[in-house]
Formats: sequence, C-alpha cells, structure tokens
Amino acid sequence: MPRSANLPAAAGAPSMFEFADQVAAGDAAAAAPAPVRQLHLITFRLDGEEFGLPVETVREVIRVGDITRVPQAPPHIRGVTNLRGRILPVVEIRTRLGLAPLVPRSTARIIVAEVRGRVLGLLVDSVAQVQKLPADRLVPAPDEIKSAHTTYLTGVIHLNDRLIILLDLALALDLPGASPS
Amino acid sequence: MSDDHAFAELIRDYIAECLPLAEAVSDAFLRLERRWRDGDTHADDATGLKGTLHTLKGNSAMMGLAPMQLVAHLLEDLSARVLADPAARNETTAALLVEGSSLLVDLVQSAADPAAHAGAADEYAARVRLHLGATLGATAAPLRLERRNSERRDAGADARGTIRVDFRRLDTMLEIFGEAMIERSALLEVHRRLAARYGNGSEIADLDRVVSSLGATMKQLETALMQTRLLPIATVFGRFGRAVRDLARDEQKQVRLVTEGDETLLDKTILDRLGEPLVHLLSNAIVHGVEPEAERVAAGKPAEATVWLRATALADRVEITVTDDGRGLDCERILAKAQALGLDVPSTDSDAVHALIFVPGFSTADRVSHVAGRGVGLEAAAAAIHALGGGIEVGSERGRGTTFALSLPLTLAIVRSLIVEVDRERYAVPLSHVAETVRLEAGTLHEINRRGVAMWRGSAIHVADGGQLLGTGATRTAPRNYFVVLFAGPRRRGVLVDRLVGHQDVVVKGLDPTLGRPAVVSGATILGDGRVACILDAAGIVALREVA
Repeated sequence: MPRSANLPAAAGAPSMFEFADQVAAGDAAAAAPAPVRQLHLITFRLDGEEFGLPVETVREVIRVGDITRVPQAPPHIRGVTNLRGRILPVVEIRTRLGLAPLVPRSTARIIVAEVRGRVLGLLVDSVAQVQKLPADRLVPAPDEIKSAHTTYLTGVIHLNDRLIILLDLALALDLPGASPS
Repeated sequence: MSDDHAFAELIRDYIAECLPLAEAVSDAFLRLERRWRDGDTHADDATGLKGTLHTLKGNSAMMGLAPMQLVAHLLEDLSARVLADPAARNETTAALLVEGSSLLVDLVQSAADPAAHAGAADEYAARVRLHLGATLGATAAPLRLERRNSERRDAGADARGTIRVDFRRLDTMLEIFGEAMIERSALLEVHRRLAARYGNGSEIADLDRVVSSLGATMKQLETALMQTRLLPIATVFGRFGRAVRDLARDEQKQVRLVTEGDETLLDKTILDRLGEPLVHLLSNAIVHGVEPEAERVAAGKPAEATVWLRATALADRVEITVTDDGRGLDCERILAKAQALGLDVPSTDSDAVHALIFVPGFSTADRVSHVAGRGVGLEAAAAAIHALGGGIEVGSERGRGTTFALSLPLTLAIVRSLIVEVDRERYAVPLSHVAETVRLEAGTLHEINRRGVAMWRGSAIHVADGGQLLGTGATRTAPRNYFVVLFAGPRRRGVLVDRLVGHQDVVVKGLDPTLGRPAVVSGATILGDGRVACILDAAGIVALREVA
C-alpha cells in the first residue's frame, strides 16, 4: 500500500479539507513542487458507483475469506473475519448506504480501515485504484441529495466522465463521537 | 484533542497503579490503629510503607497532582515521626494516619476530576502540621536520612529481577501464542494427511516426534505465559479494609477483617472482576450475618465480630471463602419465605434450604438495607461468579456463622471448549458450563406450550433450538442430533445442535464494541482451520427469559 511519508498520522478521521491541506503541506516539503493540491484516495465500487476514502485511513485491502456471522450483532455488521490472528469486524457498508447486501464475487474485497481508533473491515464490490486527484475538483454534494442520512458524504469529485463520492467513514458508520464538520 | 486523550490515558494508568498502593497504605494504617488501641505500640508497619508512600508521592508529583503529593508527603512525615518517637504512637496520630490514607484513596480514585476533593488536602495538612508541631520540634534532618536509606532498599529489590510490564503486552503475547496454536493444528492436519499417504516411513516417524514434542513445548509455553498473567489476590483483598471498617461503623457493629492466603495467584482478568462480588458478600456478612453487639455478648461471643476472607490455591482452581462468626442462616425463615414466594423447595435438607438464598428474586424485604439486601446482593454476586465460570456455595451453622465458598478458574484467557455446529455455523462452548451432551433419540424431546422439554437427570428442562437462539435464519439445513445442557449456578438450559465437533483449548478474544453486546455470545476465537467461531455465553443463555 503506497503511503506518503510526509504525512503525519492523523488521529481519527480528518475532514477531507484538512486532509487536502496536509497533502499540500507534505508536497511542499517534498523536493518536487506540486502545481495543484492533491487528494490521495483509494477508490472502490458499490453498486456501480465509485466511492473514495483517504488512503491514510486505509491499512490494507484483503480478499474476502470466511466471514463468521455474529448472533445479535447490529444490522450493518456482516460478521467477523480472521485477519492474521486478529478478529476483524466486517461492516456491510452497502446496507448503511441503503443498498442490498453484497453477494460476494471474486472481485469483492475487504478494505481494512482505521476509524477513530477502531480497525474495521469494509466489504466492497471491488477496489478500483489508488490515485491522486486534484483537490480543486472537490465540490460539495448537491443539496438535493442531502438529508439526515447523507451527512457522511464529504463531497464529490467530477473527473472526466467519472464521479467519485467521498465518504466520511466515521459518520457513515455512525461511530460515537462523529459529528458533521 | 489528542493531548487531552493522552492525558486521560496517563491519568487512567496513574489510577491503576496508585489506587492499589493507596489502598494498601490505608489498610496497613487501619491495622496499626487497631493494634495500638490493643496496647501493642510497635510501628514496624510504617517502615514497610515508606517505599509505597514514596512511590505514591513521586507518581503524583510527576502527574502534577499536588493534593495527592501533599497527602503522601504528610503521611511520610507522620510515619517517620512514629518510627522515631514512641511517644507519638497515640490515638491522635493513628487517627491522622487513617484519615490521611483514607483521603489519599479518595483523591487517587477521583484523579480524573481534580475538583472532587478541593481543599481537603490543605485542610488535612494544616491539622497534621499542627499535630507534628505540637508534639515535638522539627526533626527534619534525621528523617531525610532515613528516607534515603529506604529508597536504596527499594532500588535493591528492583534489581533482584522484577520488571514492570504493561498488561496489554501480555495480551499481545497471548494473541501471538493463539496464532501459534492455530498453526500447530494446521501442521497436525498436514501430518495426518502425509502419514495417510506415505505410511510409516522414517521421515514420517521423525515428523511424529517433532510434532509431539512441539505439542509438549507449546503446553509448557502456555503454562509459562499464564503465569505471567497471575497476580496475588492481595491486590483485591487489600481494598476491603476501609470498606469493612466504614460499613461496620454505619451498622454500629465492631467487625475485624482477617485475610488469609493473600499471596494466592489469579489471572488479572479474573481479579479485575472479583472485587464487586466480594463486596456484596462482605456487606452481606456485616449487615446480616453479624448480630448487634448486645446479642453477641448475650450469646457468649466476643463483642467484636470477625469476618475471614481466605484464598486457597487448588490444582486448577482457586477457592475463596467469606466467613463470619455471626448468627448463621435461619432455615425456618428461609423456608417460610420460599413457600410464600411459591418457590420450588426440593428438600428440607439444610444445604438445599441454604441454596435457596441464591434463587433470583429471593429478597427478604424485612431485612433489606441500603448496602446489601439479602437476595439482591447475593444474586448479583452469584451472577458475577457464574459469569466467570465459577461456582458459589453457602454453608451455615445456626448461631455459629456462615461461609460462602467461591470456586474460580485460574484463567479466562484460554478456555477448554466444546465445539458444536448449528446450521453449518461453529460455536465454542466453554466446558466449565457444559453439564452434559445428550444424543437425541426418538421420544427424548417433548413439546409443551410450543417449547422443547426433555427429561434430564430426573427433572424436566427447557431445550431451546440452537438455530433460533443464535438466529442462523436457516430452515433446518441439518437435523439436530444432540442437545448440550448448559448450566450456570442453579440454572440449566438445553440447546439443540446439529453436531459435536470436538474439544479444543481456545484463546478467548473480546468482541469489538462495533458488534454490539450480544446476550448469547461472550467472545470469539479462531479455530484450527483459521475460521472465526463465536464463544457462547452460557451464563447469558441460561438466564434468557424469552427463548423458543
């Protein structure tokens, strides 16, 4: 997993704009000057749409192994899986976003992310790529689609024919202490 | 934000480290006060406390906790005085030592909230200084010297090879050990397949030897690892001196607490959960067991009652008893109460009657006090002990006293379990909670009021369907072939399962809070094939009210 060595490890999930500032600062410190501020994102697909997360919150991406259901767990929890001897909760992010549960295919992956000190696995249809995107393309999500349920949308990036939706994971997962920034 | 967080963590560490020390000091001064009152005015206890007080002072200073630093310092001065000057060994000094150490416990306990005891330390300091000034002139110089000597002694003790390790590191080691156990089971599987394919070649024989000696080494490693997690039970027993004294005073009784077997070792995870049930049992002994003073004297007993807290190490368990020399349990009253409540009384044998006091809801309202209504406190204590995989029993002799005996496992980190399968999901069931597994035969299971019932050891027990209990959502993909009888304390419940897979030592891992707080599952583990299995919470399952 590529990481920018200049980035300080952020505590919790930074807002995307803070993150953009850090990226800018990091690039400024590097030898090669960056003409435009960059967002370093990992993108993945859920039901055909492309979503993005700051790479910094992502520890690794793993293939989907056996997932053990946990009786009486909250509805958006798919179960737990063995991550090298550690028991990793796997979140069905699709149902959090109002989609049907995933029927895993060979492209499915678990994104292991660290959110507010917790390590969680996000079950996604597929992982697209890790890339840097110009921060000036980030615009707020249109008001029309915003509601109490969509505060976890940080914004969208429109790039050529792609629309990448940026998620605030802490809000999307409804973790304690998360509040819209 | 993150600084605050780090500070909160430091405060937590401070409390975790200093509270037992402060409690030990408080306990020792209570004993000293008692001895002096009885006319035995040596002050040796104070010598032993110098290092502890010094540590408390140093740790408090490091955290910038001035009130704690001040009180620890004053206690040092007071102890130095009583050591140097026998004339200072009087009631006033003893009262100041007890008060100060008690204040120190309160201060350390509420370290996260510095405003909690604002001014108390200064007010106490004023009185100590007045007292020290009144009894003798300043003797600072020789005392300092003595303190330096004791510091040197402490340093020597550390050099003998004791190190302090963050408990989380021990947890990490255990996790790694768990992975090694899983890898070993994988190796055994490969070994089995190789032996099946190539028969008894000399390489296979070598492999046999390696695999079996690896097994023995792993067992030794497990034992050694478990030993690093053990702490003396004194860390829990030491907390009770003050609580017993305060409660006895509130009840206008004289009660002496005697602890034995303080050095008995138990896993820290168990010790952490043992304080509360023991408080319930001690309160119960003081409030209900011990008679009022006049009644004791009339019965020819000493006015001062004794409560014993004893720990004994057995082969694979630890037994803890709480004994009082009070009035004992009143069988007739218990029986009358049980009949009034419509409880099932199996026998009028005194043991059977005594056991009724643990039955949930057995609360004799006429004897409820603010601390421990008999019934409520005992029910809570019993539930806590059962949740630890332990047992609780009571024995009593009318007029002579009552003993509660707890039996506890040495560790919760590695648990011998029965692996069962329900609708193709595997679960680990701690053997400490399995009474028996029963194979279903035609006519074993009956249905009463749409609930499964089976006769088991002469009584009818409820047998729940594992699939429904665990919400597998499957429509009986496999036939239920067995039921497992779970028990916790007096409660039992059968659970129907498809298959018994086998016995296995499993490394218990906690559930992430993201997973909620399931009532039927207490943790998870990784099985030999690398898959995660949930560990059934037997105590939770037998306590469930609504199960089909």
